[in-house]
Amino acid sequence: MSGALVSPDLFTLCKVLITGIMKIQSDAILAGAPVGSPVEPLRGLAYFLMEDWFLTFNAWMIAITIMVTWAAAIQLLTMMWIERKFYSRLQDRYGIMISIWSLPFWPFSWWAKRRNKPTHRGLGYLQNVADGVKLLQKENITPANADSAMFHTAPVLIASSTVMIFAALPFSEGFVIANMPMSLLFILAAFSLAPLGILIAGWASNNKYTLIGGMRAAAQLMAYEIPLLLAVVALLMYAGSLNVIDIVHKQEALLVMLGPIPIPAWNVFSIPQFIGFAVFLVAIMAEMERIPFDIPEAEAELVEGWLTEYSGMRFGLLFGFKWLRALAGSALVVILYLGGWSGPVFVTLTPAVGATVIPIPIIPHEVWFLLKVYLLFLLFVWVSWSVPRVRIDQILNIGWKRLIPLSLLAILLAAYLAALGPALGGIR
Amino acid sequence: MALLDDYVPVVLFIIVALSFPLVTFFATRLFRPTHPTPLKDLTYECGELPEGEAAIQFHFQYYMFALIFVVFDVAAVFLVLWAFMIYGTASDLGPAASAADRLARFGPVLAPMLLGFIPILFVATQYALKKESVIHI
Repeated sequence: MSGALVSPDLFTLCKVLITGIMKIQSDAILAGAPVGSPVEPLRGLAYFLMEDWFLTFNAWMIAITIMVTWAAAIQLLTMMWIERKFYSRLQDRYGIMISIWSLPFWPFSWWAKRRNKPTHRGLGYLQNVADGVKLLQKENITPANADSAMFHTAPVLIASSTVMIFAALPFSEGFVIANMPMSLLFILAAFSLAPLGILIAGWASNNKYTLIGGMRAAAQLMAYEIPLLLAVVALLMYAGSLNVIDIVHKQEALLVMLGPIPIPAWNVFSIPQFIGFAVFLVAIMAEMERIPFDIPEAEAELVEGWLTEYSGMRFGLLFGFKWLRALAGSALVVILYLGGWSGPVFVTLTPAVGATVIPIPIIPHEVWFLLKVYLLFLLFVWVSWSVPRVRIDQILNIGWKRLIPLSLLAILLAAYLAALGPALGGIR
Repeated sequence: MALLDDYVPVVLFIIVALSFPLVTFFATRLFRPTHPTPLKDLTYECGELPEGEAAIQFHFQYYMFALIFVVFDVAAVFLVLWAFMIYGTASDLGPAASAADRLARFGPVLAPMLLGFIPILFVATQYALKKESVIHI
């Protein structure tokens, strides 16, 4: 059943790596330093490099760097690429197709010659990198009337709170920075810091469009935070833990055999949690500010909403990090309701290195997890580009008058079924 | 100490997360031009000269939504504890408990919430929102 690529966990891997590197370095220093007074400090340096707190700190920093690079660079680019390609297909066109051969200069001539290569028939994966480089060179304008301190603080608050989600968001049991007992609360808290930044951004720009955009964003995000929390409450009656890894482990059990196909006990497959799932899906879509709920930056009426006055890389970071929030939101739905990284491992290769046997899964957990996240994100994109924008009063009505009663219903049903026991699909 | 060990990497991560946008914004200074002009520094208003201040007093109705939000946010904390209580009771009883046992154990846990707290919360919220049928945002 098991099989994660990152095992036992990211920190342990980094610790082994950094200990090896530091051992080689300190050995080299010790070998190079002759016994005698003039180079005595070098021995101190060699011993310092092998101190435990130093190794631990470096291992954590490497693990964090890997996580941020993985999430904020690779996954962010992939999500943006998926969205751009998919909505282009929905609109009956190909979307971005610039290939790497169309670079203005070609430094890789040792690798391949690019003469007569097609420049506009590629995948277009690096288009977003090119857009980022373009934004990097743009001028950063601060409006004269803006509240300068708040105007500069807001993007830092929004961007850093978005990155913070990935401190607790796991990609598999091992691929996680901190496995805290209350990681779900941490993720939700980091998710809900952004509205404050958006409100500050909208107010500080001193522009009428940003003000309305910021106020709408705050009203909308506040209205949809509550169904999110209430759906989680209904989930907790089944999961019994606020640790996301525990929640996924709970869902790995077998629910029923449908002929030869085993159906896992995912949370969506029970009645109250399905209501919670529907509520959570809509609420997380509003939290991401995707199109049916993107009234805070409705292009047709508010220019670019609360982002109007930002330019250059500040705009780039705020705009691009929407996809990072989309990644975190989709990952959260997958973890809570769709079984996380659990999935069938068809074949496990077990090559024996000496006496130890290393199991290598054909489809590791991380691949299952990302597959589910991408599929869910495709659903979000599909809805986004098919459904018209909802008006602000309708958004508030959906949030306060539809989703909250539904999530309360999910809580009542979950409590009732939990009290009745397993006969009616209660606590598994 | 185990508690502290769990949260030390989070503190490190928060520091890295805070420095990430800061470093990006300072790094762009190396690549971007800076030529402010009075016209460029105006706030955007569709090409017109901006009229008046945007930092106005916003409609008071906004306060109502914030108030209901705070009520629900606090209530959610209680509901989380309550959910843990239900889960704990259910795992204590196990699947084979009799109906009388279940009623005796779950009655005091479920009744006050299901009959008292949640209905009052729901009705009060819907009543408060009914008064805000015209939205000024």
